[in-house]
Amino acid sequence: MRWCIQLKKKKYWYKLDNAGKIFPAVSKDDRSNVFRLSFYLDEMVDPIILEEAVNKILPRFETFAVQLKNGLFWNYFAANPHEFKINIEPAQLCKYFKPMNNRGYLFKVYYLNNKITLETFHAITDGAGALHFFKSIVYHYFKLRGFNIDHEGKILSEKPYSRKESEDNFVSNYDKDKRRNLKEEKAYHIEGEHFSHHWFLFVKARVNTKALIELVKNKYHASITQFITALLAYSIFKETNDFIGNKKPLKIFVPVNLRPYFDSITLRNFSLYIKGTYDSNRTDWTFENMLELTKEQYVDQLDKDKLQSRISSLVGFEKNALLRIMPLFIKTIAFKIGYNILGESISSCSISNLGIVDLPTGFKDKITDVDFVNAAYGLSMTLISLEEHTNIIFSTPVKEMAIINHVISFLVKEGLDITIDTNFKEGYDEIL
Amino acid sequence: MKYCKSCHVHYDTDLEHCILCNGELEQEGDQISVYKFSDITKRSASRFFNRFFIFINVISALICLYLDLISGLPLTWSLVVTITNIYVIVMFTVLAVPTLWTSKMTKSIIVTVMAIILIGLAIRDYSWAIDFVFPIAVGTNIFLISLLIITNKKKWYDYFAGLTIITLIGLIPGLFNLIHLTTQRVPSFICFSYALITLLGIIFLPSKSSREEFKRRFHV
Repeated sequence: MRWCIQLKKKKYWYKLDNAGKIFPAVSKDDRSNVFRLSFYLDEMVDPIILEEAVNKILPRFETFAVQLKNGLFWNYFAANPHEFKINIEPAQLCKYFKPMNNRGYLFKVYYLNNKITLETFHAITDGAGALHFFKSIVYHYFKLRGFNIDHEGKILSEKPYSRKESEDNFVSNYDKDKRRNLKEEKAYHIEGEHFSHHWFLFVKARVNTKALIELVKNKYHASITQFITALLAYSIFKETNDFIGNKKPLKIFVPVNLRPYFDSITLRNFSLYIKGTYDSNRTDWTFENMLELTKEQYVDQLDKDKLQSRISSLVGFEKNALLRIMPLFIKTIAFKIGYNILGESISSCSISNLGIVDLPTGFKDKITDVDFVNAAYGLSMTLISLEEHTNIIFSTPVKEMAIINHVISFLVKEGLDITIDTNFKEGYDEIL
Repeated sequence: MKYCKSCHVHYDTDLEHCILCNGELEQEGDQISVYKFSDITKRSASRFFNRFFIFINVISALICLYLDLISGLPLTWSLVVTITNIYVIVMFTVLAVPTLWTSKMTKSIIVTVMAIILIGLAIRDYSWAIDFVFPIAVGTNIFLISLLIITNKKKWYDYFAGLTIITLIGLIPGLFNLIHLTTQRVPSFICFSYALITLLGIIFLPSKSSREEFKRRFHV
């Protein structure tokens, strides 16, 4: 088999990357830092074959075949020799899990009817890295099922392993002279009653990609992410009672895949947030002027030098001598306190656009739909496109539909044909 | 598929009502949509019992402290109860957190020794705890982990952290001897010597793989 080009190693280890360092310390039941990718197949999933597929490709993905270990000063990832076990999908999205209960692995693979789901702890990778891994799992699942599908160079497990896939590109792009002070003011928060048991509401709005692009490009002359960011900001402005006059601005965080900017093929975390910031003292916001502001902010922040400057500042922080020699248990306490004070307070909500899922031709008929979910506090939106449709997904722990309703109504009024799917069932609002 | 006339959206799930306007959905064509997620199940009551367990331990400790306090004599028996209650809570947590059983064993021994020394202090007679319990318990733990490493070499790096920590703790009885805190010096001296030899062994007899393990565990 071609993936044998990567010889199985047993003793490798990695330092955690800059983005991943904080997650083991601050993750808990109501802040899992887990994100989800799901493929809906055109057939029922065979769990035995799925488990075999995961275990077949794991040696090719060194950065996933790891377990989290404690060092004296930092956590690190060490090779995980255990066989991986899959599970049936639980009701709770992006559920927090203890790696020790998952044979040490920092990702979960679930199955349910015709759906395969990968839930990944953010310490090992970001959305782009996880998508490569997930496509490889599903490709091998079909291979083991007896389908002969040409990978067309789109499945990473079928390509030779490169050490660059395991590189920490935060460190490799660190430039001491480009560091600057990263000060963030606090942001407005969407408050409300939460579902119990850390349950997240999932609402998927499926639209035709062509129609969405035509609307966004021709009418608003923007990118899809700019349009959705402005639309979310406008919906929050219109549908909340406490935003106007609030001292804190609305800040929508949008992760940017840094790989194209820095010629990277790493499978580890390599993304940074840019943000749309909207003044809460202004009362005359329109969708159009929010969109204009969003475009300006995107152009300003998506500058390679500025991104590298932020990378250098973040890496510079972890290179601080005092922080480095601090024992891990003290760092863990400090990260917990720091994250509780600052981490969540600087962002109002987030939008993550994973783009188009590029699949081999023979694969396309076998996968009918795709989900991408990031369950964070407040309201999270994610976008992912497959073939002719784009899924705009909302996830929230808050029992509040007004903002979601406004976004969907806006899209309907703009002439888009929308199909909704949700994990909500009648009566859930009473029992959760 | 279903359709909401008010919101003009289609539904690809088995809801009866629109989640946006709560209006009744209309069936659209023959295609029957299904719910694509797992149903929520009743949550286990273990969390409640955990909290209840901690609650009754704290309450019983507070009642004992109060009763002992109003007797007008220096606190003694209530301190023993309080220490024991706290010990039970900590042990419960140590055993409940999923981790390697060697790690659980090491933590349990450290917690138990600390509890015994505290009980000794509470009853104003701690010499038996420091002279015998502490060195013997820690020395035994060092021996057991060393034995485990020798018999299960493949997994030695899993036991490395536990051995290093317990070995460093094993040096403390020697310190107690030095500052004349002990009355019986032999057990403490044996524990100290054994811990020192083990520590020197860890430092000066490393194989290539143990050097690598040092690098991992101590990377800054």
